[in-house]
Amino acid sequence: MFKNYLKVAWRSLIKNKTYSIINVGGLAIGITACLLILQYVSYETSYENFHAKKERIYRLHQDRYNAGKLSTQWAAGAFAAGNSFKDAIPEIEDYVKVVETGDIVVNVDNEALKIDEVYFAGSSFFTMFSYDLIDGDPETMLKEPKTAAISASTALKIFGTTEAVGKTVLISGGRNYRITGVYKDMPSNTQLKPNFLASYATFQEMVRTNSNGEQNPEEWWDSDGCLTYILLQEGTDASFVESKFPAIVEENQSDFSRQSNSSTTYLLRPIEDIHLYSNYMMEPGPTGNGKTVYLLLGIAFFIIIIAWVNYINLATARALGRAKEVGIRKAVGSERRQLITQFFFESALFNGLALLLALIIMAAVIPAFNEISGQQLSYVLFSKPGFWGGLIALFSVGVFLSGTYPALVLSRFKPVEVLKGRMVSTEQGIVLRKSLVVFQFVASLFLLIGTLTVYQQIQYMRDQSLGLDIDQTLVVVPPIVTDSTYAGQKTAFKETLLQYPSITNVAASTTIPGEPVGWNAGGIKLVSQDEELAKQYRVIGIDYDYIDQFGMKLIAGRKFSEEFGTDPESVIFNRSAINQIGFENPEEALGERIDFWGRQYTIIGVAENFNQESLKLPYEPLILRLIPNVRGFFTIKTSSENIAQTIADVQVAWDKFFPGNTYEYFFLDDHFNDQYIVDQKFGKVFGLFTGLAILVACLGLFGLASFTTLQRTKEIGIRKVLGASVVGILKLLYKEFAFLLLLAFLISIPIAWFAASNWLEGYAFRIDLHWSFFALPFAVILIIALLTVSFQTIKASLANPVNSLRTE
Amino acid sequence: MIKIQNLKKSFRTEEVETLALNNVNLSVQEGEFAAIMGPSGCGKSTLLNIIGMLDNPTEGSYEFAGHEVGGLKERQRTQLRKGNLGFVFQSFNLIDELTVYENVELPLIYLKMSKSERKEKVRTVLERMKIAHREKHFPQQLSGGQQQRVAISRAVVTNPKLILADEPTGNLDSKNGIEVMNLLTELNKEGTTIVMVTHSDRDSHYAHRIINLFDGQIVTESQNRAVGAMI
Repeated sequence: MFKNYLKVAWRSLIKNKTYSIINVGGLAIGITACLLILQYVSYETSYENFHAKKERIYRLHQDRYNAGKLSTQWAAGAFAAGNSFKDAIPEIEDYVKVVETGDIVVNVDNEALKIDEVYFAGSSFFTMFSYDLIDGDPETMLKEPKTAAISASTALKIFGTTEAVGKTVLISGGRNYRITGVYKDMPSNTQLKPNFLASYATFQEMVRTNSNGEQNPEEWWDSDGCLTYILLQEGTDASFVESKFPAIVEENQSDFSRQSNSSTTYLLRPIEDIHLYSNYMMEPGPTGNGKTVYLLLGIAFFIIIIAWVNYINLATARALGRAKEVGIRKAVGSERRQLITQFFFESALFNGLALLLALIIMAAVIPAFNEISGQQLSYVLFSKPGFWGGLIALFSVGVFLSGTYPALVLSRFKPVEVLKGRMVSTEQGIVLRKSLVVFQFVASLFLLIGTLTVYQQIQYMRDQSLGLDIDQTLVVVPPIVTDSTYAGQKTAFKETLLQYPSITNVAASTTIPGEPVGWNAGGIKLVSQDEELAKQYRVIGIDYDYIDQFGMKLIAGRKFSEEFGTDPESVIFNRSAINQIGFENPEEALGERIDFWGRQYTIIGVAENFNQESLKLPYEPLILRLIPNVRGFFTIKTSSENIAQTIADVQVAWDKFFPGNTYEYFFLDDHFNDQYIVDQKFGKVFGLFTGLAILVACLGLFGLASFTTLQRTKEIGIRKVLGASVVGILKLLYKEFAFLLLLAFLISIPIAWFAASNWLEGYAFRIDLHWSFFALPFAVILIIALLTVSFQTIKASLANPVNSLRTE
Repeated sequence: MIKIQNLKKSFRTEEVETLALNNVNLSVQEGEFAAIMGPSGCGKSTLLNIIGMLDNPTEGSYEFAGHEVGGLKERQRTQLRKGNLGFVFQSFNLIDELTVYENVELPLIYLKMSKSERKEKVRTVLERMKIAHREKHFPQQLSGGQQQRVAISRAVVTNPKLILADEPTGNLDSKNGIEVMNLLTELNKEGTTIVMVTHSDRDSHYAHRIINLFDGQIVTESQNRAVGAMI
């Protein structure tokens, strides 16, 4: 029986080549797109899912409030939180503190080797997390001060082998570490990717030594910067544990924060949610975007549905051709049940072929997809059970969804009617087919409008004036190895550089445009104000040349100048900061004195707001504080000629004044635009799949137009005999599709408008949704649809009516 | 074999109700060859479809080989039809995607016959219809006469008790038409009951009995004496 079904299905597939190519090809493209997106999504959602105790691991997340209003959200919180919570709450089984620290330099064969991603980590690190160890005892390896665990690749770099346990390494600053563990390089789907993990005990010892035994980080409630991971007892409700935090925080809150009317809330964030749902201050690594992931999932859904709709549409449109067969089969003894089985079988055959083709396409496009999306998909994929599971699921759902309707419709034909050629296509079928076409148009329009919005927003962000001049600016990464002579070295370095005619200005600062400010200071207020008016500000430490370096616009007062010996006690506010502290008019703020962590500073200038970071973020209240010998990034303004020479010149001076430090540089405008890479990638991926969706939809439209035209051949013939022109007939045929498209357009506007506005809300500086974002996609789809339809209709309308009428 | 009493069939569209068959009474004995004649739209095909259990009557009774089939559900009709009835159509109605052999084999597949049994039966009937040399061809590669021979092969391959032929020569030239009629006559002589709808006077003379239908009613029935003379 099945052999007979297979024969008929296969032969009809070969016979109707166009139809088959459209169906199988469209489905294959749909399945490929869907599989790629599913892989992407499953990777993005796989972060931290390999920890054996993942269900019980949480990260402490800190919300800061000012006068009852949420001001900042932090991935890292107070140092004392972890141990205090553990002591007071028995449901907390364990905790581990992780503190990010600066890059270090190790001398290997007299070469300065820079190691980044350096952290202090508590001794439970390897018992709480499931990172793979190569050597070392997870229970004890980070217990002692001056011990460290290192990644396999770091071990290879420093020692040339991963058998490093027991060896000692001397790092910048003159500290010796005994290596007690070597771990495999972290998998890509985890946020923490340390190259060097020093024991947290080392940090405690450093603090004690530096403060002559007076300070203990386990008692610090006012200082941020400690990532705390908490392991709850089995069966513990996280919200129950969270509810116990406020009392402990209240008890330990300092007078300082109490007076300044600020408060802190701690929350537990499940470790698996960090990657997609957390993007706070002091994240120890980049995070993803849950919205993006689910948007892509939506696109995958659209594409595959469009492909299935094609199958349904074409299969039912072709019903006339199949009707005779159904009639014959029924006449010779087939039951309806058997016909349903047969049509499902055909759907399975089509879906199966499409699946095979999709696998081939997939293997071919994986490299290109990785290029565009920044993903690391590899052929290993084909060996994963999850992948095949997804495949089988797609296949089963596909067979069911695309097979059901044709199977039910086709099997219902009455032999008497179809064998006599008295088949009238049912009104219901036509309505369904039209609705499905409208759905395809809606999906295509939605995706196109989305793509246009994403591209326009990215373009806008790149073109928008930042309020800062970041062109022709070379940035040198701060030196790590410095000593008490830094101030002198810095001045000498700057002076040396300025002697080159190609270098026009050199400045130093704690941060640069495109980098997070990092320095957040609370409790700042005017001297004349009460404590409860104190608020939080972002602070950048700059030297005298910074304001000019970036062409910042001052709207009141003056910039820092060496002519005024008192400037180190001065600050410049930006407009937002002036507004936050309570002035509408910048001029009013000049000469006002502020309290800043127990010292007083005078406001001598007000800068216009500028975009310190991506235009995703709003202007923040910012204080520029003069620190003449600031340790940080050097920014070097160069002329556009002979940049290679300038880079080399800077290196000569660097090696002279900061020996033992690696020379690392980049151009600021590139660096700034790098912030948009994620958005650009998203735009590209979105655009790619939109293109695919439209292609698949057009394939279906082409097929449907062919059949519709075929069905109307006789009508066209009669009209021509009665004197209709070719143009007139084209109009007639276009009208039908144009109407459907118009209907789809009306449906898609509110949906696309809602989605696009929602997406744009993630950007502090954003474009307005212009009417052309909707009109243009409509025009594009209209043209594509008409061209697709034209191919068939022109042929039909040019045909000699005698031929079409004679076939009756 | 066939006993029809007071049979009525009406078709209803939104506005009009058309009575296609009105109080038809008809019996066909086993081994008989009956021809139904009449002008276009008189209800011939409707009657044949009801006899063939492809359609249900609106009113009245229809007994086939002692079973009342008037009110049966589609599935039950299919069961009764399988193996008992064979159809021959004016437009042949072969499945284009199947070869001659496969078309003839189809009813046997639905009877769930084994492959070797099917092979034997199909071969035998194809030999008999003198179309065996074309068994691997597709319908479009055959002439009209050949196609109708394939259709007849398919109708008789199950050894049905009754063959229903709806204008079997309508699409054929006279030479092929005569050949087809001779085949049907031969089958009838071997004991198969045949009910045929036709427009053709020539064809009707092959039948034992001619039933004239007009506006859904049987107007005359006549015994045909000249059967042998035509051959």
